[in-house]
Amino acid sequence: MTLGIPAAVTAAAEPPAARDRRHRPRRPALDTPRATRRAQTRLGIALVAPAMVLVVTFFLVPLVSAIYYAFVDFNGVNPNPSFVGLANFAELFQDAALWPALCNNAIWIVLGTAGPIVIGLVLALLMWGVGRSGALYRVAFFLPYVLPQVAVGVVWGWIYDPVRGWLNQALEIIGLGALRTGWLGNPDTALYAVLATAVWATSGFVFVILLAALRNVDTELVDASRLDGANTIQRLWFIVLPQIMPVFLMVTTITLVGGFSVFDIIFVMTGGGPAGASDVLGTVAYSEAFQLNRISYGTTIALVITLLAIPFAVCLNRLQRRLSLQGTGA
Amino acid sequence: MTTDRGSSPRARTERTAKHGLLIVLSLFAVFPIVLTISTALKTDADVTVNPFGFFSSFSSENIVAAWVEGGFSDYVLNSFLISVPSTVLVVALSTMAGYAFARLPFPGRGVAFYLVMLGLLVPFFTYMIPLYFQLRSLGLLDTLLGVNLVLATTGLAFGIFFMRAFFSDLPTELEQAARIDGASEWQIFSRVMVPLVSSGAGALGVFTFLQNWNNFLVPLLYVPGGAYRPLTTGLYLFLGGRSIDIGPLAAGTLITILPVVVVFVLLQKQVTQGFLSGAVKG
Repeated sequence: MTLGIPAAVTAAAEPPAARDRRHRPRRPALDTPRATRRAQTRLGIALVAPAMVLVVTFFLVPLVSAIYYAFVDFNGVNPNPSFVGLANFAELFQDAALWPALCNNAIWIVLGTAGPIVIGLVLALLMWGVGRSGALYRVAFFLPYVLPQVAVGVVWGWIYDPVRGWLNQALEIIGLGALRTGWLGNPDTALYAVLATAVWATSGFVFVILLAALRNVDTELVDASRLDGANTIQRLWFIVLPQIMPVFLMVTTITLVGGFSVFDIIFVMTGGGPAGASDVLGTVAYSEAFQLNRISYGTTIALVITLLAIPFAVCLNRLQRRLSLQGTGA
Repeated sequence: MTTDRGSSPRARTERTAKHGLLIVLSLFAVFPIVLTISTALKTDADVTVNPFGFFSSFSSENIVAAWVEGGFSDYVLNSFLISVPSTVLVVALSTMAGYAFARLPFPGRGVAFYLVMLGLLVPFFTYMIPLYFQLRSLGLLDTLLGVNLVLATTGLAFGIFFMRAFFSDLPTELEQAARIDGASEWQIFSRVMVPLVSSGAGALGVFTFLQNWNNFLVPLLYVPGGAYRPLTTGLYLFLGGRSIDIGPLAAGTLITILPVVVVFVLLQKQVTQGFLSGAVKG
């Protein structure tokens, strides 16, 4: 249901709210004296007001402006830009640079979701049942996720260094020297090199969430199925995965939707290059708006990113909610 | 799977293998961090010959170069000036609004909450360009006030959502009891309710601080002048301008990640348990 990193945790916080809605009946308003209610209303408005001022000024107004920008031709200077209707949207379809960027987004969404999910799940399963001694591993696995992406980009840039980088040296050692390349400078590998870095950085997040979910899995059920002769794969597929499915879907939504608005790491590591080979919609929108001064067109691309992402977010969120409701019998 | 804790030889081998695998994977996870530390601590001569070999020499010259000539001392200060006030603002305003949305009836509450939650659905990307021109016309571009207010707003949607869940979980009896004792609505909020959610507010604070410290796009767009450049955009600029100076660049990277690593390791519980596992338990 959310985009970007702060949003990530949002969905994680979903269950308490959902739980609240299901189990706690609304407070009966009838037995509250009117004076109390008036005082509550006054305090409520006073407490919400400062937050609302910020949300309106720095989120809702620019959001409405974004829609306005998409229908005019604004270059950042003229105070009264002319109305152009759907021309900005029409241009999207003729923009030769846009389709490769969209494809890159698609690759990013598929691999950038599947990678962390698989790695995070494997790590979580490995860590499941490792007691107190697991704390250090947990720190190590989660740490990459909390680092600033700029720093991550810089360091991985060295790992990918064509001459002295660890990756090429490691390939040489294991006899695959033929694969040596300038990973970020080669148009065939640039996107995947950055993607691998992002997978490295995101897996820890998936891991932590799934590990927390595994801790709530009914182990008696797992043991019972073991006695019934289920092998490891069967236990995982039929007993464990169904129990963590709502969380699994949530974390999938977060990484998947994040794939639409990916920007920082690509911007830092390749700037979308070489020659647009690793461009995504985000980097195209940025360079249209802030380097080419095509404010309206850049904003239109950014709007499209959102429009593409929202259906995915909503669908997966619905599915997740339905599953978690089933689980609780509510 | 969870109960393989017996001491039969097979279980023991299995456990050893598992730990061996986990150690290898952890090393892979921290490898880039070790690489940063190693390169940052090399002598100048060694960086030129062998920039990425592990711990082949030790000196503080790169750190000094980044701190003094690279301007990282200013960047550190600016990062604090940008992250701390915005974090305080997010925690305070989210606690207030979260309480109101959870427990106080007022007209328009549903609509207001919906509008705030829209912030979780819409990526920053969508409105970042108009926001630039809006800040420019408000005279807030390139100011500490402007960047703090924007960062605070980006954190509010999640913050309010998060704090509201905490307040919703508190029993109604508490406020009824306080009301019978003659407490005003404000006193119920400030003396009874807020102390009960302090752990949640703490977790939100730690999380928001890390988000704001790591934020790249907001300072890149809205403090372009350089007077308040934080570590993230400072490091990016340094990367563009002097990418050959690997030593000072490594030192700058280390300076950028060090506060994050320290906060994370010390307050691990808040960072992970506070909102991740605590949130998933439902």
